[in-house]
Amino acid sequence: MSGKWRGRLPWLLMGAVLVVALVIGSQGRSGPMTEAQRVKHIASEIRCPTCRNQSAAESDAAAAKAVRDEIDRRVRAGQSDGEIVAFMVSRYGSDILLKPEGSGVASLVWALPVVAVVVALFGLGVAFRRWRSRPGVDVSAEDRALVERELQREDA
Amino acid sequence: MSDVDLAVSRSRRHTARWAAISLGVVLLLFVAVLATRKSAADKQAESPLLGKQAPSLTGSGLDGSQVSLASMHGKWVVLNFMASWCVPCRDEHPELVKFTQRHQAAADATVLGVIFDDTQPNVRRFFADLGGSWPVVDDPGGHTALDFGVRGPPESFLVDPNGFVVWKGIGQVNADGLDKLLREGKARGA
Repeated sequence: MSGKWRGRLPWLLMGAVLVVALVIGSQGRSGPMTEAQRVKHIASEIRCPTCRNQSAAESDAAAAKAVRDEIDRRVRAGQSDGEIVAFMVSRYGSDILLKPEGSGVASLVWALPVVAVVVALFGLGVAFRRWRSRPGVDVSAEDRALVERELQREDA
Repeated sequence: MSDVDLAVSRSRRHTARWAAISLGVVLLLFVAVLATRKSAADKQAESPLLGKQAPSLTGSGLDGSQVSLASMHGKWVVLNFMASWCVPCRDEHPELVKFTQRHQAAADATVLGVIFDDTQPNVRRFFADLGGSWPVVDDPGGHTALDFGVRGPPESFLVDPNGFVVWKGIGQVNADGLDKLLREGKARGA
């Protein structure tokens, strides 16, 4: 193997691992979830009402247990995930969801970072172009005299 | 001091002055916002239940009897989620006592307590210490709190005589604030 390829091998391996991980990660579940898995999955999207940033699936608080019980009861009653989440929102408001909704004002949470990155990239592009094309700075006689004075002062 | 040092010093003073002015303006705005906030007693919290029929509420009272919100139809009800371990609940309790006393003769309004993450014996002691004789419902699984979207005590709801939720407050309430809400509700024709 040539030295050129040996140098690129780690990068190629890393790329291969990344592609495999993305493919595995993007695959859906192979079979339907059990009721217990559904309860856990829905509870993981609901904020524990009395905690700061923990899901109802993770927290041991009494309110989180009440949320899990309610989800369990509704799953057994045959409600869909959407219906159960909608019930929670109808009681607590949309901030009970750990992930902001993708519609209305809440969608700004998703859109603003993208807009910020695009604006930042555009700004950088404009700045680089301007720096590259900037002509030489005009130095006045007064500036030269000032620098001269300072240099003489340094030497003295 | 050389011209350069003077220029640098002047520039620094200039920046510091603007930083101080900006900070002062931000602080003034902060103080103004805090000073003009409504007190917790009549500050309405957001709730999807506002303007909607209150969820049904039935449970066991402190004396073992069955208590329901529906049985209070025709009266204004202050639904108060409380716990004996909650210090603000202890602080607001005398105000609720005052509120019920004011409305005892007219019998137009009452308080219905809901125990939040606490036990009946603790709440019985709480009432024995601080007074008050309104019905208090136990909520052992926290399902009533969930039905009303309660996150922690004290939280209160004002339910009109037709069973609609007209106000939600997070934190302590006081008798005057509740009476003001009642007057406003009555003026709206609830």
